Amino acid sequence: MQAIEVSHLTKRFGNLTALDDVSFSVSGGETFGFLGPNGAGKTTTIRILTGISTPTGGTASIFGKDIIRDTIASRKEMGIVHETSNVYDDLTAWQNLMFTAELYAVGKQMREKRAAELLDLFGLLERRDDRVRGFSKGMKRRLTLAMGLVNNPRLLFLDEPTSGLDVQSNLIIRDVIRDLNAQGVTVFLTTHNIEEANLACDRVAIINRGRIAAIDSPERLKKTIQSVQSVEVAFDSASPRRMDDLRQLPGVSEVRKEGDKFRLFTEDPSLVIDAVTAYAKAENARILSLSTFGPSLEDVFIRLTGLGIRTRGVTTVD
Amino acid sequence: MTEPAGKHGQLYAELFAAWAIAKKDIRIYYLKPNIIVSGAMFPLFMFLAFAVGRPAEPAVMIPGLVAITILFSASSIEPVSIPIERRVRTFDRLVSAPVSLHAVVLGESLSGFLYSIGIALVPLAAGLVIFRTPIISVFPLVFGILLTAFCFATMGTLFAAYPTESPGDIMSMLNMVRLPLIFISGVFIPVESVPAVGQAVVWLSPLTYGNDLIQASYHGHTHFNPLIDMAMLCIFILIFQVAANRLYKKFNE
Repeated sequence: MQAIEVSHLTKRFGNLTALDDVSFSVSGGETFGFLGPNGAGKTTTIRILTGISTPTGGTASIFGKDIIRDTIASRKEMGIVHETSNVYDDLTAWQNLMFTAELYAVGKQMREKRAAELLDLFGLLERRDDRVRGFSKGMKRRLTLAMGLVNNPRLLFLDEPTSGLDVQSNLIIRDVIRDLNAQGVTVFLTTHNIEEANLACDRVAIINRGRIAAIDSPERLKKTIQSVQSVEVAFDSASPRRMDDLRQLPGVSEVRKEGDKFRLFTEDPSLVIDAVTAYAKAENARILSLSTFGPSLEDVFIRLTGLGIRTRGVTTVD
Repeated sequence: MTEPAGKHGQLYAELFAAWAIAKKDIRIYYLKPNIIVSGAMFPLFMFLAFAVGRPAEPAVMIPGLVAITILFSASSIEPVSIPIERRVRTFDRLVSAPVSLHAVVLGESLSGFLYSIGIALVPLAAGLVIFRTPIISVFPLVFGILLTAFCFATMGTLFAAYPTESPGDIMSMLNMVRLPLIFISGVFIPVESVPAVGQAVVWLSPLTYGNDLIQASYHGHTHFNPLIDMAMLCIFILIFQVAANRLYKKFNE
Protein backbone atom coordinates (compact mmCIF):
# COMPACT_ATOMS: atom_id res chain seq x y z
CA MET A 1 0.00 0.00 0.00
CA GLN A 2 1.27 3.45 -0.92
CA ALA A 3 1.77 5.96 1.90
CA ILE A 4 0.50 8.75 -0.34
CA GLU A 5 -1.43 8.34 -3.57
CA VAL A 6 -2.34 11.48 -5.46
CA SER A 7 -4.35 11.22 -8.66
CA HIS A 8 -5.21 14.07 -11.05
CA LEU A 9 -5.36 16.58 -8.24
CA THR A 10 -6.64 20.00 -9.24
CA LYS A 11 -7.21 23.08 -7.14
CA ARG A 12 -8.64 26.33 -8.42
CA PHE A 13 -9.10 29.61 -6.57
CA GLY A 14 -11.45 31.54 -8.83
CA ASN A 15 -9.62 31.92 -12.13
CA LEU A 16 -6.29 30.88 -10.65
CA THR A 17 -5.30 27.24 -11.07
CA ALA A 18 -3.00 26.45 -8.15
CA LEU A 19 -2.73 22.73 -8.94
CA ASP A 20 -3.23 21.35 -12.41
CA ASP A 21 -3.73 17.60 -12.77
CA VAL A 22 -1.05 16.61 -10.27
CA SER A 23 -0.41 12.88 -9.83
CA PHE A 24 2.27 11.08 -7.84
CA SER A 25 2.66 8.40 -5.23
CA VAL A 26 4.97 7.92 -2.26
CA SER A 27 5.86 4.44 -1.03
CA GLY A 28 5.89 3.46 2.62
CA GLY A 29 9.27 4.19 4.22
CA GLU A 30 10.32 6.51 1.41
CA THR A 31 11.76 9.99 1.94
CA PHE A 32 10.12 12.07 -0.75
CA GLY A 33 11.24 15.60 -1.57
CA PHE A 34 8.79 18.16 -2.91
CA LEU A 35 10.60 21.06 -4.51
CA GLY A 36 9.34 24.12 -6.27
CA PRO A 37 9.67 27.89 -6.37
CA ASN A 38 7.37 30.11 -4.32
CA GLY A 39 3.80 29.94 -5.59
CA ALA A 40 4.41 26.66 -7.43
CA GLY A 41 1.72 24.79 -5.49
CA LYS A 42 3.70 23.13 -2.68
CA THR A 43 1.66 24.59 0.17
CA THR A 44 -1.63 23.93 -1.63
CA THR A 45 -0.60 20.29 -2.09
CA ILE A 46 0.31 19.92 1.59
CA ARG A 47 -2.94 21.59 2.69
CA ILE A 48 -4.91 19.11 0.62
CA LEU A 49 -2.86 16.11 1.77
CA THR A 50 -3.37 17.11 5.41
CA GLY A 51 -7.11 17.58 4.93
CA ILE A 52 -7.16 21.32 5.59
CA SER A 53 -8.17 22.24 2.05
CA THR A 54 -10.48 20.42 -0.38
CA PRO A 55 -9.38 19.82 -3.98
CA THR A 56 -11.47 21.05 -6.90
CA GLY A 57 -10.86 17.73 -8.62
CA GLY A 58 -8.93 14.49 -8.30
CA THR A 59 -8.24 12.30 -5.29
CA ALA A 60 -5.64 11.90 -2.57
CA SER A 61 -5.26 9.08 -0.09
CA ILE A 62 -3.05 8.41 2.91
CA PHE A 63 -2.29 4.72 3.48
CA GLY A 64 -5.36 3.87 1.42
CA LYS A 65 -7.70 6.25 3.26
CA ASP A 66 -9.30 8.99 1.19
CA ILE A 67 -8.25 12.31 2.69
CA ILE A 68 -11.57 13.96 1.78
CA ARG A 69 -13.99 11.25 2.87
CA ASP A 70 -11.90 9.89 5.74
CA THR A 71 -10.02 12.97 6.87
CA ILE A 72 -9.76 12.17 10.56
CA ALA A 73 -8.58 8.58 10.09
CA SER A 74 -6.01 9.81 7.55
CA ARG A 75 -4.74 12.50 9.91
CA LYS A 76 -4.20 9.95 12.68
CA GLU A 77 -1.50 8.37 10.52
CA MET A 78 0.44 11.60 10.06
CA GLY A 79 2.57 14.09 11.92
CA ILE A 80 2.80 17.60 10.56
CA VAL A 81 5.73 19.96 11.01
CA HIS A 82 4.63 23.30 9.64
CA GLU A 83 6.98 25.76 7.96
CA THR A 84 6.69 28.20 10.86
CA SER A 85 7.77 27.01 14.30
CA ASN A 86 4.20 27.21 15.54
CA VAL A 87 4.76 26.50 19.21
CA TYR A 88 2.91 28.18 22.07
CA ASP A 89 5.36 30.67 23.54
CA ASP A 90 3.45 30.97 26.81
CA LEU A 91 3.51 27.24 27.47
CA THR A 92 6.51 25.19 28.55
CA ALA A 93 8.12 22.67 26.20
CA TRP A 94 6.44 19.90 28.17
CA GLN A 95 3.01 21.57 28.02
CA ASN A 96 3.38 22.07 24.25
CA LEU A 97 4.04 18.37 23.79
CA MET A 98 1.23 17.34 26.14
CA PHE A 99 -1.23 19.59 24.31
CA THR A 100 -0.30 18.19 20.89
CA ALA A 101 -0.52 14.62 22.21
CA GLU A 102 -3.96 15.36 23.65
CA LEU A 103 -5.13 16.62 20.25
CA TYR A 104 -4.16 13.19 18.92
CA ALA A 105 -5.83 11.42 21.89
CA VAL A 106 -2.57 9.79 22.96
CA GLY A 107 -3.08 8.11 26.33
CA LYS A 108 -1.57 9.74 29.44
CA GLN A 109 1.18 7.20 30.14
CA MET A 110 2.16 6.96 26.52
CA ARG A 111 2.25 10.72 25.94
CA GLU A 112 4.40 11.31 28.99
CA LYS A 113 6.82 8.57 27.96
CA ARG A 114 6.91 9.77 24.38
CA ALA A 115 7.36 13.44 25.36
CA ALA A 116 10.30 12.60 27.63
CA GLU A 117 11.92 10.54 24.84
CA LEU A 118 11.46 13.29 22.27
CA LEU A 119 12.74 16.06 24.52
CA ASP A 120 15.81 13.94 25.17
CA LEU A 121 16.24 13.14 21.47
CA PHE A 122 16.10 16.82 20.53
CA GLY A 123 18.34 18.00 23.37
CA LEU A 124 15.57 19.85 25.21
CA LEU A 125 15.04 17.66 28.26
CA GLU A 126 16.75 20.08 30.64
CA ARG A 127 14.50 22.90 29.42
CA ARG A 128 11.27 20.90 29.61
CA ASP A 129 9.70 23.17 32.23
CA ASP A 130 10.85 26.45 30.70
CA ARG A 131 8.47 28.64 28.78
CA VAL A 132 9.16 28.43 25.07
CA ARG A 133 9.25 32.24 24.86
CA GLY A 134 12.89 32.12 25.99
CA PHE A 135 13.96 29.46 23.47
CA SER A 136 16.25 30.17 20.51
CA LYS A 137 14.98 29.77 16.95
CA GLY A 138 16.73 26.41 16.66
CA MET A 139 15.26 25.14 19.94
CA LYS A 140 11.76 26.15 18.84
CA ARG A 141 12.28 24.35 15.55
CA ARG A 142 13.41 21.21 17.35
CA LEU A 143 10.39 21.41 19.63
CA THR A 144 8.13 21.82 16.58
CA LEU A 145 9.60 18.64 15.13
CA ALA A 146 9.15 16.85 18.46
CA MET A 147 5.49 17.93 18.47
CA GLY A 148 5.10 16.48 14.98
CA LEU A 149 6.37 13.12 16.21
CA VAL A 150 4.51 12.88 19.51
CA ASN A 151 1.76 10.66 18.04
CA ASN A 152 4.35 8.28 16.55
CA PRO A 153 3.18 8.88 12.96
CA ARG A 154 3.72 6.53 10.02
CA LEU A 155 3.93 9.55 7.72
CA LEU A 156 5.64 12.82 8.55
CA PHE A 157 5.07 16.05 6.61
CA LEU A 158 8.10 18.28 7.00
CA ASP A 159 7.76 21.79 5.63
CA GLU A 160 11.14 23.52 5.40
CA PRO A 161 12.50 21.77 8.51
CA THR A 162 15.98 23.30 8.59
CA SER A 163 15.39 26.71 7.05
CA GLY A 164 17.59 29.36 8.67
CA LEU A 165 18.76 27.19 11.56
CA ASP A 166 22.02 27.05 13.49
CA VAL A 167 24.44 24.21 12.75
CA GLN A 168 23.59 22.21 15.90
CA SER A 169 19.84 22.24 15.24
CA ASN A 170 20.44 21.43 11.58
CA LEU A 171 22.52 18.39 12.44
CA ILE A 172 20.07 17.12 15.05
CA ILE A 173 17.12 17.45 12.68
CA ARG A 174 18.95 15.79 9.78
CA ASP A 175 19.98 12.90 12.03
CA VAL A 176 16.42 12.47 13.22
CA ILE A 177 15.08 12.42 9.66
CA ARG A 178 17.65 9.77 8.78
CA ASP A 179 16.70 7.69 11.84
CA LEU A 180 12.98 8.03 11.09
CA ASN A 181 13.61 6.80 7.58
CA ALA A 182 15.57 3.85 8.95
CA GLN A 183 12.61 3.04 11.20
CA GLY A 184 10.31 2.90 8.17
CA VAL A 185 8.58 6.25 8.67
CA THR A 186 7.58 7.88 5.39
CA VAL A 187 8.81 11.45 5.13
CA PHE A 188 7.29 14.05 2.80
CA LEU A 189 9.85 16.82 2.76
CA THR A 190 9.20 20.26 1.32
CA THR A 191 12.31 22.35 1.12
CA HIS A 192 14.03 25.18 -0.65
CA ASN A 193 17.35 23.64 0.32
CA ILE A 194 18.06 21.58 -2.76
CA GLU A 195 21.22 20.06 -1.33
CA GLU A 196 19.19 18.89 1.66
CA ALA A 197 16.76 17.16 -0.69
CA ASN A 198 19.66 15.71 -2.64
CA LEU A 199 21.16 14.19 0.50
CA ALA A 200 17.97 13.09 2.26
CA CYS A 201 15.49 12.03 -0.40
CA ASP A 202 14.98 8.73 -2.19
CA ARG A 203 12.96 10.56 -4.82
CA VAL A 204 12.20 14.16 -5.61
CA ALA A 205 9.25 15.81 -7.32
CA ILE A 206 9.71 19.22 -8.85
CA ILE A 207 6.52 21.23 -9.11
CA ASN A 208 6.21 24.40 -11.12
CA ARG A 209 3.16 26.55 -11.83
CA GLY A 210 0.88 23.89 -10.36
CA ARG A 211 2.20 21.05 -12.51
CA ILE A 212 4.70 18.29 -11.77
CA ALA A 213 7.74 19.00 -13.93
CA ALA A 214 9.68 15.87 -12.98
CA ILE A 215 9.71 13.01 -10.47
CA ASP A 216 12.69 10.73 -10.02
CA SER A 217 15.66 9.99 -7.80
CA PRO A 218 18.13 12.89 -7.48
CA GLU A 219 20.81 11.01 -9.43
CA ARG A 220 18.49 10.13 -12.30
CA LEU A 221 17.28 13.71 -12.49
CA LYS A 222 20.85 14.93 -12.70
CA LYS A 223 21.53 12.54 -15.56
CA THR A 224 18.78 14.14 -17.60
CA ILE A 225 20.89 17.26 -17.92
CA GLN A 226 24.41 15.90 -18.23
CA SER A 227 25.03 18.78 -20.61
CA VAL A 228 25.12 21.13 -17.64
CA GLN A 229 28.64 20.44 -16.38
CA SER A 230 31.04 22.96 -15.01
CA VAL A 231 34.69 23.70 -14.32
CA GLU A 232 35.55 25.68 -11.20
CA VAL A 233 38.81 27.58 -11.20
CA ALA A 234 40.58 29.92 -8.77
CA PHE A 235 43.53 32.14 -9.70
CA ASP A 236 46.17 33.64 -7.42
CA SER A 237 45.59 37.15 -8.75
CA ALA A 238 42.56 39.25 -9.68
CA SER A 239 41.95 40.98 -12.99
CA PRO A 240 39.09 43.31 -13.88
CA ARG A 241 38.88 41.69 -17.33
CA ARG A 242 38.81 38.12 -16.06
CA MET A 243 35.06 37.48 -16.35
CA ASP A 244 35.03 38.74 -19.95
CA ASP A 245 38.18 36.80 -20.81
CA LEU A 246 36.84 33.53 -19.41
CA ARG A 247 33.53 34.02 -21.19
CA GLN A 248 35.44 34.12 -24.52
CA LEU A 249 37.13 30.75 -23.96
CA PRO A 250 36.09 27.93 -26.32
CA GLY A 251 33.34 25.63 -25.00
CA VAL A 252 32.20 28.01 -22.23
CA SER A 253 28.48 28.74 -22.25
CA GLU A 254 28.33 30.88 -19.10
CA VAL A 255 30.60 32.14 -16.33
CA ARG A 256 29.60 32.83 -12.75
CA LYS A 257 31.76 34.33 -10.02
CA GLU A 258 31.40 32.39 -6.76
CA GLY A 259 33.47 34.01 -4.03
CA ASP A 260 37.13 33.93 -5.12
CA LYS A 261 36.37 31.29 -7.75
CA PHE A 262 34.88 31.25 -11.25
CA ARG A 263 32.46 28.59 -12.41
CA LEU A 264 32.46 27.95 -16.13
CA PHE A 265 29.47 26.02 -17.50
CA THR A 266 30.12 23.78 -20.45
CA GLU A 267 29.16 20.69 -22.39
CA ASP A 268 32.85 19.75 -22.75
CA PRO A 269 34.86 20.06 -19.51
CA SER A 270 38.02 18.70 -21.11
CA LEU A 271 38.06 21.42 -23.74
CA VAL A 272 37.50 24.11 -21.11
CA ILE A 273 40.28 22.75 -18.84
CA ASP A 274 42.75 23.00 -21.73
CA ALA A 275 41.54 26.50 -22.53
CA VAL A 276 41.77 27.68 -18.92
CA THR A 277 45.30 26.29 -18.54
CA ALA A 278 46.38 28.04 -21.74
CA TYR A 279 44.70 31.27 -20.62
CA ALA A 280 46.49 31.16 -17.24
CA LYS A 281 49.84 30.68 -18.95
CA ALA A 282 49.21 33.52 -21.35
CA GLU A 283 48.09 35.86 -18.57
CA ASN A 284 50.92 34.76 -16.29
CA ALA A 285 48.34 33.83 -13.64
CA ARG A 286 48.80 30.87 -11.33
CA ILE A 287 45.90 28.41 -10.97
CA LEU A 288 45.22 27.74 -7.26
CA SER A 289 42.52 25.13 -7.78
CA LEU A 290 40.73 23.51 -10.70
CA SER A 291 37.75 21.16 -10.29
CA THR A 292 35.04 19.71 -12.49
CA PHE A 293 31.43 19.27 -11.45
CA GLY A 294 28.54 17.29 -12.85
CA PRO A 295 25.08 18.84 -12.87
CA SER A 296 23.64 19.41 -9.40
CA LEU A 297 20.04 18.92 -8.35
CA GLU A 298 19.90 22.68 -8.19
CA ASP A 299 20.76 22.79 -11.90
CA VAL A 300 17.89 20.40 -12.59
CA PHE A 301 15.58 22.52 -10.46
CA ILE A 302 16.58 25.72 -12.22
CA ARG A 303 16.25 24.14 -15.62
CA LEU A 304 12.83 22.65 -14.97
CA THR A 305 11.36 25.67 -13.23
CA GLY A 306 12.93 28.21 -15.57
CA LEU A 307 14.16 30.22 -12.60
CA GLY A 308 17.47 31.19 -14.18
CA ILE A 309 19.17 30.98 -17.52
CA ARG A 310 22.59 29.62 -16.84
CA THR A 311 22.70 26.90 -19.46
CA ARG A 312 22.72 28.70 -22.76
CA GLY A 313 23.16 26.49 -25.75
CA VAL A 314 22.40 23.17 -24.11
CA THR A 315 19.63 20.78 -24.88
CA THR A 316 16.43 21.41 -22.96
CA VAL A 317 14.71 18.72 -20.99
CA ASP A 318 10.97 18.09 -21.10
CA MET B 1 -0.42 5.17 19.52
CA THR B 2 -3.74 7.01 19.38
CA GLU B 3 -6.94 5.82 21.01
CA PRO B 4 -8.91 3.07 19.23
CA ALA B 5 -11.15 4.18 16.40
CA GLY B 6 -14.88 3.60 16.24
CA LYS B 7 -17.86 5.77 17.01
CA HIS B 8 -17.30 6.01 20.76
CA GLY B 9 -13.53 6.17 20.41
CA GLN B 10 -13.83 9.11 18.05
CA LEU B 11 -16.43 10.87 20.23
CA TYR B 12 -14.05 10.50 23.15
CA ALA B 13 -11.19 11.85 21.03
CA GLU B 14 -13.29 14.85 19.99
CA LEU B 15 -14.28 15.73 23.55
CA PHE B 16 -10.75 15.09 24.80
CA ALA B 17 -9.31 17.40 22.14
CA ALA B 18 -11.94 20.07 22.86
CA TRP B 19 -11.01 19.99 26.53
CA ALA B 20 -7.30 20.15 25.64
CA ILE B 21 -7.96 23.27 23.53
CA ALA B 22 -9.96 24.84 26.36
CA LYS B 23 -7.18 24.11 28.89
CA LYS B 24 -4.59 25.55 26.53
CA ASP B 25 -6.63 28.75 26.06
CA ILE B 26 -7.21 29.13 29.78
CA ARG B 27 -3.48 28.75 30.48
CA ILE B 28 -2.37 31.12 27.74
CA TYR B 29 -5.08 33.77 27.56
CA TYR B 30 -7.42 33.71 30.56
CA LEU B 31 -5.16 33.13 33.55
CA LYS B 32 -3.37 36.42 33.04
CA PRO B 33 -3.69 39.00 35.80
CA ASN B 34 -4.75 41.77 33.42
CA ILE B 35 -7.49 39.61 31.87
CA ILE B 36 -8.83 38.57 35.28
CA VAL B 37 -8.71 42.09 36.72
CA SER B 38 -10.29 43.74 33.67
CA GLY B 39 -12.95 41.03 33.61
CA ALA B 40 -13.74 41.58 37.28
CA MET B 41 -13.81 45.37 36.87
CA PHE B 42 -16.14 45.24 33.87
CA PRO B 43 -19.36 44.76 35.89
CA LEU B 44 -18.43 47.71 38.11
CA PHE B 45 -18.06 50.06 35.15
CA MET B 46 -21.25 48.76 33.58
CA PHE B 47 -23.04 49.30 36.87
CA LEU B 48 -21.78 52.86 37.12
CA ALA B 49 -22.74 53.53 33.50
CA PHE B 50 -26.30 52.38 33.91
CA ALA B 51 -27.11 53.00 37.59
CA VAL B 52 -25.65 56.40 38.36
CA GLY B 53 -28.26 59.14 38.03
CA ARG B 54 -31.14 56.71 37.60
CA PRO B 55 -34.00 56.42 40.07
CA ALA B 56 -33.88 52.60 40.05
CA GLU B 57 -32.59 50.82 43.14
CA PRO B 58 -29.10 49.37 42.61
CA ALA B 59 -30.49 46.00 43.59
CA VAL B 60 -32.86 46.10 40.62
CA MET B 61 -29.89 46.45 38.29
CA ILE B 62 -28.13 43.26 39.46
CA PRO B 63 -29.85 40.65 37.21
CA GLY B 64 -29.30 42.75 34.08
CA LEU B 65 -25.74 43.40 35.16
CA VAL B 66 -25.13 39.65 35.48
CA ALA B 67 -26.56 39.12 31.97
CA ILE B 68 -24.43 41.87 30.40
CA THR B 69 -21.32 40.68 32.19
CA ILE B 70 -21.84 37.21 30.74
CA LEU B 71 -22.45 38.63 27.26
CA PHE B 72 -19.19 40.57 27.21
CA SER B 73 -16.92 38.23 29.17
CA ALA B 74 -17.96 35.09 27.26
CA SER B 75 -17.54 36.61 23.81
CA SER B 76 -14.45 38.77 24.23
CA ILE B 77 -11.36 36.56 24.37
CA GLU B 78 -11.71 34.18 21.40
CA PRO B 79 -12.08 37.06 18.91
CA VAL B 80 -8.68 38.21 20.17
CA SER B 81 -6.91 34.88 20.68
CA ILE B 82 -7.91 33.20 17.41
CA PRO B 83 -6.59 35.96 15.09
CA ILE B 84 -3.37 35.97 17.12
CA GLU B 85 -3.12 32.19 16.71
CA ARG B 86 -3.69 32.63 12.99
CA ARG B 87 -0.85 35.14 12.87
CA VAL B 88 1.65 32.88 14.66
CA ARG B 89 0.29 29.82 12.80
CA THR B 90 -0.59 27.86 15.95
CA PHE B 91 -4.18 27.77 14.69
CA ASP B 92 -2.94 25.45 11.90
CA ARG B 93 -2.28 22.87 14.62
CA LEU B 94 -5.93 22.85 15.58
CA VAL B 95 -7.37 22.66 12.07
CA SER B 96 -4.98 19.87 11.05
CA ALA B 97 -5.55 17.73 14.17
CA PRO B 98 -7.41 14.41 13.78
CA VAL B 99 -10.66 15.87 15.11
CA SER B 100 -13.59 17.63 13.46
CA LEU B 101 -13.93 21.40 13.34
CA HIS B 102 -16.85 20.96 15.75
CA ALA B 103 -14.33 19.88 18.40
CA VAL B 104 -12.16 22.92 17.68
CA VAL B 105 -15.16 25.29 17.92
CA LEU B 106 -16.34 23.55 21.10
CA GLY B 107 -12.88 23.77 22.69
CA GLU B 108 -12.50 27.44 21.86
CA SER B 109 -15.98 28.15 23.25
CA LEU B 110 -15.44 26.11 26.43
CA SER B 111 -12.69 28.39 27.67
CA GLY B 112 -14.82 31.51 27.16
CA PHE B 113 -17.69 29.74 28.88
CA LEU B 114 -15.67 28.90 31.99
CA TYR B 115 -14.09 32.36 32.16
CA SER B 116 -17.49 33.98 31.84
CA ILE B 117 -18.96 31.96 34.69
CA GLY B 118 -16.08 33.01 36.92
CA ILE B 119 -16.55 36.68 36.02
CA ALA B 120 -20.36 36.48 36.45
CA LEU B 121 -19.79 35.51 40.07
CA VAL B 122 -18.53 39.07 40.73
CA PRO B 123 -21.86 40.94 40.19
CA LEU B 124 -23.69 37.95 41.64
CA ALA B 125 -21.66 38.12 44.84
CA ALA B 126 -21.88 41.93 44.92
CA GLY B 127 -25.66 41.66 44.69
CA LEU B 128 -25.81 39.22 47.57
CA VAL B 129 -23.21 40.80 49.85
CA ILE B 130 -23.40 44.55 49.17
CA PHE B 131 -27.00 45.14 48.04
CA ARG B 132 -28.58 42.19 49.83
CA THR B 133 -30.44 41.28 46.65
CA PRO B 134 -32.31 38.06 47.41
CA ILE B 135 -32.31 35.16 44.96
CA ILE B 136 -35.79 33.68 44.90
CA SER B 137 -35.07 30.67 42.71
CA VAL B 138 -31.69 29.08 42.05
CA PHE B 139 -32.80 26.83 39.18
CA PRO B 140 -33.34 29.54 36.52
CA LEU B 141 -30.24 31.37 37.73
CA VAL B 142 -27.97 28.34 37.25
CA PHE B 143 -29.44 27.43 33.86
CA GLY B 144 -29.58 31.08 32.84
CA ILE B 145 -25.89 31.60 33.59
CA LEU B 146 -24.72 28.31 32.08
CA LEU B 147 -26.70 28.52 28.85
CA THR B 148 -26.14 32.26 28.33
CA ALA B 149 -22.41 31.89 28.93
CA PHE B 150 -22.12 28.99 26.52
CA CYS B 151 -24.27 30.75 23.93
CA PHE B 152 -22.16 33.92 23.90
CA ALA B 153 -18.88 32.01 24.08
CA THR B 154 -19.94 30.18 20.91
CA MET B 155 -20.98 33.48 19.37
CA GLY B 156 -17.48 34.86 20.06
CA THR B 157 -15.93 31.81 18.42
CA LEU B 158 -18.28 32.25 15.45
CA PHE B 159 -17.21 35.86 14.90
CA ALA B 160 -13.55 34.80 15.25
CA ALA B 161 -14.00 32.60 12.16
CA TYR B 162 -13.63 35.75 10.05
CA PRO B 163 -10.28 35.18 8.32
CA THR B 164 -8.16 37.97 9.70
CA GLU B 165 -4.99 38.14 11.75
CA SER B 166 -6.08 41.40 13.38
CA PRO B 167 -8.30 41.13 16.48
CA GLY B 168 -9.56 44.68 15.88
CA ASP B 169 -11.33 43.61 12.69
CA ILE B 170 -13.39 41.07 14.60
CA MET B 171 -14.01 43.18 17.71
CA SER B 172 -15.46 46.02 15.65
CA MET B 173 -17.89 43.63 13.94
CA LEU B 174 -18.73 41.95 17.23
CA ASN B 175 -19.48 45.24 18.98
CA MET B 176 -21.84 46.19 16.17
CA VAL B 177 -23.90 43.24 17.36
CA ARG B 178 -23.23 43.16 21.12
CA LEU B 179 -23.93 46.78 21.98
CA PRO B 180 -27.40 46.96 20.40
CA LEU B 181 -28.29 43.69 22.16
CA ILE B 182 -28.15 45.48 25.52
CA PHE B 183 -30.97 47.79 24.49
CA ILE B 184 -33.28 45.31 22.81
CA SER B 185 -33.10 42.42 25.25
CA GLY B 186 -34.96 43.75 28.27
CA VAL B 187 -31.80 44.08 30.32
CA PHE B 188 -32.43 47.54 31.76
CA ILE B 189 -35.68 48.32 29.98
CA PRO B 190 -38.37 45.62 30.35
CA VAL B 191 -39.20 43.87 27.09
CA GLU B 192 -42.74 45.30 27.27
CA SER B 193 -41.32 48.84 27.34
CA VAL B 194 -38.92 48.41 24.42
CA PRO B 195 -40.01 50.71 21.52
CA ALA B 196 -42.00 49.15 18.69
CA VAL B 197 -38.97 48.93 16.41
CA GLY B 198 -37.07 47.05 19.11
CA GLN B 199 -40.02 44.76 19.82
CA ALA B 200 -39.69 43.32 16.35
CA VAL B 201 -36.14 42.16 17.00
CA VAL B 202 -36.34 41.27 20.70
CA TRP B 203 -37.02 37.68 19.70
CA LEU B 204 -33.83 37.53 17.69
CA SER B 205 -31.55 38.29 20.62
CA PRO B 206 -30.22 35.38 22.70
CA LEU B 207 -29.63 37.89 25.49
CA THR B 208 -33.41 38.33 25.77
CA TYR B 209 -33.82 34.73 26.86
CA GLY B 210 -30.74 34.61 29.07
CA ASN B 211 -31.75 37.81 30.79
CA ASP B 212 -35.31 36.55 31.18
CA LEU B 213 -34.08 33.46 33.03
CA ILE B 214 -31.74 35.41 35.28
CA GLN B 215 -34.44 38.01 36.02
CA ALA B 216 -36.76 35.15 36.99
CA SER B 217 -34.39 33.98 39.67
CA TYR B 218 -34.56 37.44 41.29
CA HIS B 219 -38.15 38.50 40.58
CA GLY B 220 -39.93 35.16 40.38
CA HIS B 221 -41.57 35.72 37.01
CA THR B 222 -40.48 35.54 33.38
CA HIS B 223 -41.63 37.32 30.25
CA PHE B 224 -41.43 34.01 28.42
CA ASN B 225 -41.76 30.55 29.87
CA PRO B 226 -38.41 29.41 31.40
CA LEU B 227 -38.52 26.31 29.21
CA ILE B 228 -38.89 28.54 26.14
CA ASP B 229 -35.94 30.60 27.34
CA MET B 230 -33.80 27.49 27.72
CA ALA B 231 -34.96 26.01 24.44
CA MET B 232 -34.23 29.26 22.58
CA LEU B 233 -30.76 29.50 24.11
CA CYS B 234 -30.06 25.89 23.06
CA ILE B 235 -31.24 26.70 19.52
CA PHE B 236 -28.94 29.73 19.38
CA ILE B 237 -26.01 27.61 20.62
CA LEU B 238 -26.72 25.06 17.90
CA ILE B 239 -26.99 27.72 15.20
CA PHE B 240 -23.74 29.39 16.29
CA GLN B 241 -21.92 26.05 16.52
CA VAL B 242 -23.02 24.88 13.07
CA ALA B 243 -22.41 28.29 11.49
CA ALA B 244 -18.96 28.51 13.08
CA ASN B 245 -18.09 25.03 11.84
CA ARG B 246 -19.09 25.97 8.28
CA LEU B 247 -17.29 29.29 8.32
CA TYR B 248 -14.03 27.83 9.65
CA LYS B 249 -14.23 25.17 6.93
CA LYS B 250 -14.94 27.77 4.24
CA PHE B 251 -12.23 30.19 5.32
CA ASN B 252 -9.62 27.42 5.69
CA GLU B 253 -9.73 27.10 1.92
